[in-house]
Amino acid sequence: MTVDQSPAWLALNTHAESIREKHLTEMFSEDSQRFEKFSFSAAHCLTDFSKQRITEDTLQRLIDLAEQQKLPQRIEALFKGDKVNPSENRPALHTALRQPKELPLLVDGDDISTEIHASLERMEALVDQIHNGQWRGYDGSPIKTVVNIGVGGSDLGPLMACRALGQFAPAHIREIEVHFVSSMDGSQLARILNHIDAASTLFIVSSKSFTTIDTLTNANTAREWLVDNSGLPIELISQHHFIAITASPDKAAAWGIPEKNQLHFWDWTGGRYSMWSVIGMAIALQTGNENFRLFLAGAHKMDVHFRSAPLGENLPVLLAMIGVWNINFLGIHAHAVLPYDGRLKHIPAYLEQLEMESNGKSVTLQGEKLNYATCPILWGEVGPNAQHAFYQLLHQGTESVMCDFIAPAIRYQDQGEDLQAQHQLALANCLAQSRLLALGDSVLEDADNAPAHKRYRGNQPSTTIMFDTLNPESLGALIAMYEHKVYVQSVIWEINPFDQWGVELGKHVATSLLDQFTEQSSSATDSSTEGLIRYVQQQRKESNDEG
Amino acid sequence: MKVKVYGADLTAWVVAACMARAGNDVQIQGPQSQQEKPLQDISALRDEPGLLDQIQLQMQKGRLKRTGAQDVETDIHWLALEHNEIEKAQNIIHGLAKAVPENLLIVNQCNFGVGATDKLQSILNEELNQVIVYIPSNLQDGKALQGFSQPKRITIGSENNWAITTTRALIKPFLQNIEHLLLMTSREAEFTKLAITGMLAIRIGYINELANLADQMNVDIETIREGMGADPRIGNHYLAPGCGFGGLSFNQNIARFSETFEKRGKDSLLKTVISENEIQKELLFKKLWQHYQCNLTEKTVSVWGASFKPGTASIDNAPSLKLIDALLAQGVQVKVHDPEALGNLQKHYRNQPNISFCNDAYEAIKDTHALLLVTEWPEYWSPDYLKLLKDMHTPLIIDGRNIFDREALEMYGFTYMGVGR
Repeated sequence: MTVDQSPAWLALNTHAESIREKHLTEMFSEDSQRFEKFSFSAAHCLTDFSKQRITEDTLQRLIDLAEQQKLPQRIEALFKGDKVNPSENRPALHTALRQPKELPLLVDGDDISTEIHASLERMEALVDQIHNGQWRGYDGSPIKTVVNIGVGGSDLGPLMACRALGQFAPAHIREIEVHFVSSMDGSQLARILNHIDAASTLFIVSSKSFTTIDTLTNANTAREWLVDNSGLPIELISQHHFIAITASPDKAAAWGIPEKNQLHFWDWTGGRYSMWSVIGMAIALQTGNENFRLFLAGAHKMDVHFRSAPLGENLPVLLAMIGVWNINFLGIHAHAVLPYDGRLKHIPAYLEQLEMESNGKSVTLQGEKLNYATCPILWGEVGPNAQHAFYQLLHQGTESVMCDFIAPAIRYQDQGEDLQAQHQLALANCLAQSRLLALGDSVLEDADNAPAHKRYRGNQPSTTIMFDTLNPESLGALIAMYEHKVYVQSVIWEINPFDQWGVELGKHVATSLLDQFTEQSSSATDSSTEGLIRYVQQQRKESNDEG
Repeated sequence: MKVKVYGADLTAWVVAACMARAGNDVQIQGPQSQQEKPLQDISALRDEPGLLDQIQLQMQKGRLKRTGAQDVETDIHWLALEHNEIEKAQNIIHGLAKAVPENLLIVNQCNFGVGATDKLQSILNEELNQVIVYIPSNLQDGKALQGFSQPKRITIGSENNWAITTTRALIKPFLQNIEHLLLMTSREAEFTKLAITGMLAIRIGYINELANLADQMNVDIETIREGMGADPRIGNHYLAPGCGFGGLSFNQNIARFSETFEKRGKDSLLKTVISENEIQKELLFKKLWQHYQCNLTEKTVSVWGASFKPGTASIDNAPSLKLIDALLAQGVQVKVHDPEALGNLQKHYRNQPNISFCNDAYEAIKDTHALLLVTEWPEYWSPDYLKLLKDMHTPLIIDGRNIFDREALEMYGFTYMGVGR
């Protein structure tokens, strides 16, 4: 029996019939205590679900569904290191990465906590060496610039956290300029190489397999650039200007990076769950080792909450279950992530990968095809900017969209009143938008008299997530909350959130197409692909003839 | 006259020593922590040639006393506090303003920055002749006593005639060699003091930049420097390229003057000079690193000279520190010699296993893969080359002050690198 045939699911279906007809305006007028009833706090975060289209009854039935799906046992399985990723036959132990050193964690008889902390301590030693100006480039200059080459989980997480926490760079460490390069077309790299100094630049090559073509292509270009600038042999450059962060030490060594300049993580760390490991080195370089540890501590706090809090007060569980409610019972398949703090600019891209790569699945753990919806389409932007872009659709379009508003309560406490007022303005906009989305133009007195094109229908559900300030701990907790949300939804939908087979085939097809650009006649693909290859060949030929 | 000196660093002790030697009745008041220290444990006294002896002599003669008490009978109060002790100065002046209602003369010789003396004066009542004058410190480590007692120039920053006359009387014994006795407002005097220091730093910064360019362009900076110095508009002072400058007050002054610009939203030339100087301090390391192709494991290196300049034991902001830090970070065994500064260096590198402190310069070069000359003490200028050749593991000399003759060294069989040549 699939979950959509289960009693708890069917009960929700019935319940939804009454709710679907109800407008949020009615819900608020019927119950003045919605905020008290539907907002919850834990581990630095306040989540307010009162603008979701739910009643107390809804919540109870959602918890029933979670229990029916044996969620508490599945949470334990995640933390204990059970093989929750069956298609790759391994556990998913990102929670272990942020567990304090003194707590042991036995997996297959080995205490992985020891290994994890040994790896983090090696990373910290390298970070210290760079911060102290004692990692030397080929001419003896201390490293000033670090370029993180990685893609997907080796890029989005560290990039997001570095941008969010940039202000936390401690005053006593040398400032390191951190850049991120991911795209295989080389455009980011080409731009950076024009204005950095080769002798004082270090490249971090982050790749779990050390075979990722995007990353290795960029790393090769970077190395060629260093060889050209220094006039030194490639071996010397590989030894002094590259750090490998990988789960494949042999491959990194074969590429030329000696063992002492490698940092390791493990195959049980999924790419999109990896920034808590040494993959987060860029975060430590930007914000200092201490702040990186605080970032881990914040996430651990959320882990403890997730593992121990009753389902009905459990932030990740509630976030997930209300998502399930919107997707599977209210038929909403679009999800906007809207931070009202420019430092969180990269959080939408980060969550796009976390949620869509994890739960963008359509077969069950048992390999059966699903006939219910799973992960919705996620996108987002810094809220105040998005107000001038796609909010039109949220307010007056035909699609139902659920939104997450994310904002710190206070900011700029030590930077003057003007900036504090700017943050307050942003918060006022944040609350105004969620209010308008929920209640529509009923917030106005004579809305009924407005022409149709000026009406706001409302009833778009949203969650508001707030924390006191944005800092390493609160960011860690926030991200851990979303990670666990994803896991909870996967448990309900009976899918594997830790594999990503859907990204594999494209790589193989690309490899097979690569040669066809240079061959005279392209071998049979399809008429569209053939036609496009012909176009590229023709443009190249014309360009060469002119040259 | 009765003079009371407030302060604990080199400036304060030099004033006290010179004033006592000139026959004044001098008291010096430092912080409680220093008050109780035996004289020989005070590094400012130890590091400056002749100062400790002079202090002890003046104390024996009864003209100089250490004190913790306030003494209203004093004719002149001389503030020689550290640059960050303006609050302490304010407290002292508040106390004096109450205790000495009229005819109170205070000399401010602290580097509190431009406008500080005016700020301190505002505590006092000038109409009752409660006055503070500014006399900039022209102290040079290593020549501090001579510099104070036989200056070529003195600036008095004040507009109060009574104060100027009294101050002149006090400094009269030190005016035999005087070429310029300048009178200006205290604010102008403070500005001038910092402007001079900045100018000197810029000259050094510029010649170092030229030297680094010369390194890459196959010209000898020493020839260039001679040519530049021959131009009377330029002259030879502060035009020696090298592996960076150091010292406590010099660095503090330019750093703080640079901040004065930055506070007004301007990036200053001095800021660049300061940061480039920090880079320059690692020059010898870089040359060594390149010579050994980025691999210094299992190398032993000798460093000659650790004090920030010859003639002092002080290692404040010394280029040797950055160099030694860089060497140690690469696991290099470091053997250092310095005629005066080894004690200070030993304290600085306590518990550091890879550094040894050699009392004999030739002990320091035994079995080393390079000799790095950092401070141009006179005894290094003409070493026993044959002994160096025999005892060094690799005859490589990297000369951070351009004191050796390249041709001669190469003739002996050394590999020689200088700064900009």
